[in-house]
Amino acid sequence: MDLAVQRVLRPGSFEEAVRVMAEHPHALPIAGGTDLVVQLRDGRRAADVLVDLSGAGLAFITARNGVVEIGGATTMDAIANSREIRDACPALAAASRLVGAWPIQCRATLGGNLANASPAADTAPPLLVAEASVHLVSADGDRRIQLSELFSGPGETCLRPGELIRSIMIPTQHLQRTVREGFAKVGPRWEQIISVASLAHRFELDADGSIREARVAVGSVAPTPVRARAAEQFLAGKPPTAAVRREAARHLQDDISPIDDVRAPAWYRRVAVSVLLDRALTEAADG
Amino acid sequence: MGSVTVSLVLNGEQRTFEVPAGRRLLDLLRDDAGLTGTKEGCGAGECGACTVLLNGLPVPSCLVLAASCEGADVVTVEGLGGDRPLHPLQRAMVERGGVQCGFCTPGVVTTGAALLEHGITEPLEQGRRLAGNLCRCTGYSKIFEALQAAAREPGDD
Amino acid sequence: MTDGGTPLGGSHARPDALAKVTGQTRYVGDIALPGMLHAAVAAADVSSARVGSVDTSRALEIPGVEAVMTAQDVPGANLIGVIFPDQPLLVEDRVRMVGDRFAVVAARSPEAAWRSATAVSAQLEPLAGVHDPVEALKAGADAVHDSGNLVHTFRVERGDIKKAEARATVVVEAEYRIGGQEHAYLEPQACLAIPEAGRVTVLASCQCPFYIQQGVARVLGLPLSAVRVEQAPTGGAFGGKEDYPSEPAACAALLAWRTRRPVRLLYPREHDLQATTKRHAMRVHHRWGADRAGRLRFAEVDVLLDAGAYAGLSTVVAERANASAIGPYDVAAVRVRTRVAYTNNLFGGAFRGFGAPQVTWAHEATMDRLARELGLHPVELRRRNVLGERRRVTSTGQRLPAPVMAKACLEKAVAASSAGQPARALPPGRWLHGTGTALVLYGCNLHHGGQHLDRSSAVVILQADGSAVVRVGLTEMGQGNLVAAQTVAATALGIDPVKVEVWQPDTTTVADSGPTVASRGAHASGLAILEAVRRLRRRLDPVAAELLGCEPSQVMLGGDAARVFGEPEQTIAMEQVVQEMVRRRIETIATGWYRSRRRRFDPATGLGSPYEFYAMACHVARVAVDPDLGLVRVEHVAAAHDVGKVLHRDALEGQIQGGIVQAMGWALTEELKLSRGRLLNPGFTDYLIPTSDDAPAISIALLEDAPGSGPFGSKGIGEPSFIPTAAAIRNAVCDAIGAEVDRLPLTPPVIVEAVAARHPFSFLLP
Repeated sequence: MDLAVQRVLRPGSFEEAVRVMAEHPHALPIAGGTDLVVQLRDGRRAADVLVDLSGAGLAFITARNGVVEIGGATTMDAIANSREIRDACPALAAASRLVGAWPIQCRATLGGNLANASPAADTAPPLLVAEASVHLVSADGDRRIQLSELFSGPGETCLRPGELIRSIMIPTQHLQRTVREGFAKVGPRWEQIISVASLAHRFELDADGSIREARVAVGSVAPTPVRARAAEQFLAGKPPTAAVRREAARHLQDDISPIDDVRAPAWYRRVAVSVLLDRALTEAADG
Repeated sequence: MGSVTVSLVLNGEQRTFEVPAGRRLLDLLRDDAGLTGTKEGCGAGECGACTVLLNGLPVPSCLVLAASCEGADVVTVEGLGGDRPLHPLQRAMVERGGVQCGFCTPGVVTTGAALLEHGITEPLEQGRRLAGNLCRCTGYSKIFEALQAAAREPGDD
Repeated sequence: MTDGGTPLGGSHARPDALAKVTGQTRYVGDIALPGMLHAAVAAADVSSARVGSVDTSRALEIPGVEAVMTAQDVPGANLIGVIFPDQPLLVEDRVRMVGDRFAVVAARSPEAAWRSATAVSAQLEPLAGVHDPVEALKAGADAVHDSGNLVHTFRVERGDIKKAEARATVVVEAEYRIGGQEHAYLEPQACLAIPEAGRVTVLASCQCPFYIQQGVARVLGLPLSAVRVEQAPTGGAFGGKEDYPSEPAACAALLAWRTRRPVRLLYPREHDLQATTKRHAMRVHHRWGADRAGRLRFAEVDVLLDAGAYAGLSTVVAERANASAIGPYDVAAVRVRTRVAYTNNLFGGAFRGFGAPQVTWAHEATMDRLARELGLHPVELRRRNVLGERRRVTSTGQRLPAPVMAKACLEKAVAASSAGQPARALPPGRWLHGTGTALVLYGCNLHHGGQHLDRSSAVVILQADGSAVVRVGLTEMGQGNLVAAQTVAATALGIDPVKVEVWQPDTTTVADSGPTVASRGAHASGLAILEAVRRLRRRLDPVAAELLGCEPSQVMLGGDAARVFGEPEQTIAMEQVVQEMVRRRIETIATGWYRSRRRRFDPATGLGSPYEFYAMACHVARVAVDPDLGLVRVEHVAAAHDVGKVLHRDALEGQIQGGIVQAMGWALTEELKLSRGRLLNPGFTDYLIPTSDDAPAISIALLEDAPGSGPFGSKGIGEPSFIPTAAAIRNAVCDAIGAEVDRLPLTPPVIVEAVAARHPFSFLLP
């Protein structure tokens, strides 16, 4: 069945896309469409005009000056296959392979996954622990914000009318033996599943194995993907012993506010995200 | 509803369509191009029955706007074999009993052909990559057998 | 070719595979006719209400709409129920479930049709309704129908429970809550109605064209002869296209009748999930006792089916559940009660196993419970009680002919399980391992109560080139009926299977053959084909004999030729024999008919022979459970099946593999989340069927020692392949975690709660 849209505009460059968005303040940008088409079909979103970004040159991955930059229309499949990203942010590479199934990954884009602002967006926790920033552009100018500032609620962002996600920037780290990074998600099925809890971590370890700095971000357990600051602060400077792991899980509860919904009860989300943190810490301890 | 013009290479042939702006690639293929081999099983990108190759990669055509396929290369189940009557995976599916009700089959062979094209032959990884193509009949066993058999076929290209 | 040059037991390519794998098969959605309109359904969003009026004025204003019809516009009877006349096609004065239809719409595009359907409004006075079958049967509960909420009660009463109980040293009692299941065929409901003055053709994705014929004729007020139903290629069914397709077909036919144009109705997936029948949710209460030696002494079972808002096939499903409640065990004293209750939930219907999977899940859970109480290994307890050479009387008192294969299936499956290898390495996590066993005693074909439908029709037409056209009354929906019918016909005619073309059923070419259900497709079509071939040979053999210079009784068919018995060199090509028949104007068409044998059964006591014969099976599942997250990996399933005789090996294995994986979904992830009768997860995003990544390794053992009465001694496989798996998985999970779980599905939260006391984060649990 056709979607109830009147026009699809197809800018041939990013500059033109920005201009077109300014001319059509109620237009919705579309890249992979894997979320938006479903929402347009269900009536959860509506638009007379769509701006198709496939010709806007936003599918790219570059690495220079200590930053990996990912164009907003880069697909999950391209991200998962990228050596630069596997080096700079292995958790993101892993998460990209877990968004939907492979045909979705070949179509869904990073900008779309973030702009859709689902609490369950699997790419968000890895980018939050990487302290990624987002380059936003509109006809009024461009700005760079921290990813954590992008999300304002379930399905809501701070994007202004006419503003596009040009790219996502990840400061590169030189992965040393002392940094442990990863992403894991839990759902009732193993593949092609929306997370009921997800967790990305980056632990920097001291020579004695204790945690110098902990970064933890979680999905599906709060209105937006969030950093788990209470757990992070608790972990800093501590060895990941069984007692510390258990206590970290208690602190993690202060970082999250899961709800009961059709996918899982809140208590299960609390349990699952705690187990994920526990396992990430155990792995870090085991090297 | 406004219309858009879409020029693309469809199963190796340059084609141009004028379609409503809100048309999905799935409906362009089925209703405008008459290629009904591609099926609609859910309309939400969850079942994989509508999988086609877009620029060589499998995508759910129910989630792709026709308008965004300008200049694209699209291959459907009807064009999977290219110049050959059958793709090796299609033949293996027939010979190994990988086909039951057949409604998922076009999507399964399309994703499967892409797996083989990308050299993904390890069964565990095949299982993960095929997870977007739901099959309710076979329990997947004979689909895996067909994938293994097709991967062994020499001179595919 | 195997079995003396016939295709019997081999794996030749299915006749439908090539068209399916190249996208050439034309399902209903792939067929568009000039002038065709698209139908949509205006459905209720609440589960219980009194209806004041239905307003279609806004719906009619949508551009492109050609007709909007309500109950008043039905020319015949506004009734669609298969057995009980309790279900109006279009709502009259009451809404009884979400999905009840206020109106149907035909428009020039599907977009306009569905938009128009949402513009139909109804004046409703909401009622509380009843959404729990236990509540439904309490005094004072809201009555879903005027007749009250108890639809029917079935029983089995055998032996003296009191006396037997005195000899039981261990008694276990349990209450099982078993959830329903969505069929999730990949092709949603689909049909196309083509009107002509005075008659109508319906093309439908279905497993019973004759039910549709009856439903459409009743709704349009036409004689049966004026309704032709052709089965379209059907993209999966599993029971979901037995009773239900009569509803969309009647809707499309109504609109076609009114507009005089072809009308196609394709259900969007969400509507399909929300509106169509489901596997019944059941409550099963058990009280079973055994003596110290581990011999079962008595078994009491109380089953309650949630029929939902309409009876549909619920009583027939209950009949099978009732007869299957004890399983393949020798128990002297048995008391079973099975009740069917109306609620305002989605209605239950046919689904692979037909009531048996739920009661099997329960009896196998109880067997493991008993084994633990007795300190016996679950396999050992089964060995001591399962039907076999020495114990041959079922729980309904039916004495089975030897050999009885249940024990042999048990031993084969246990051995195959030990030898089996998992499909994959486990992902990181903390894993506990477990093994679970489950047996089934499957009554082949229709229960005594449905025996009037146990018949089937076939037509075989020999072609002048030695090929043959076969028509049967039973359907192909993926399960392999075409290849089974082809194999039987080719074997009987002695010709290559590629020369046998089996065409889909059409109500104008074969007589009413009943539904394609109860694993009876290959059985009933095959026996009808064999009868048709026998009749053909009365005409063919004398001609062949004349050409061969032998007696008609000496004619053998094989290798695309007629031959003389005992003189293999003396042959004449089948083509020449048929050409000679044609030249002499001898009839080359024959019909065949099958009906099951009459048998004795007393519905009041449930005793006698509910089924003519049985297929037995045992599945052994090996699982790994991550108890912290409640996740399960089914690593291996060993399946031993008493199949009588293999007709087509790939199709048979495909049924077993598919049945196991579909049952695994029911066991673990497929949860119908209902809130006041509304499905909260009507899409594949949240109704989770197994993916390729979930498929376990499967080892299959086929036992051909006990012939059934199907063609060449075969027995049905469609349902026995499904029934024991979920129970085996449940028992394996309980073995792994060391706790009993009495709910299905075993979702992650259910498993975590079962291990709550030992969970590392037990402080977070409710």
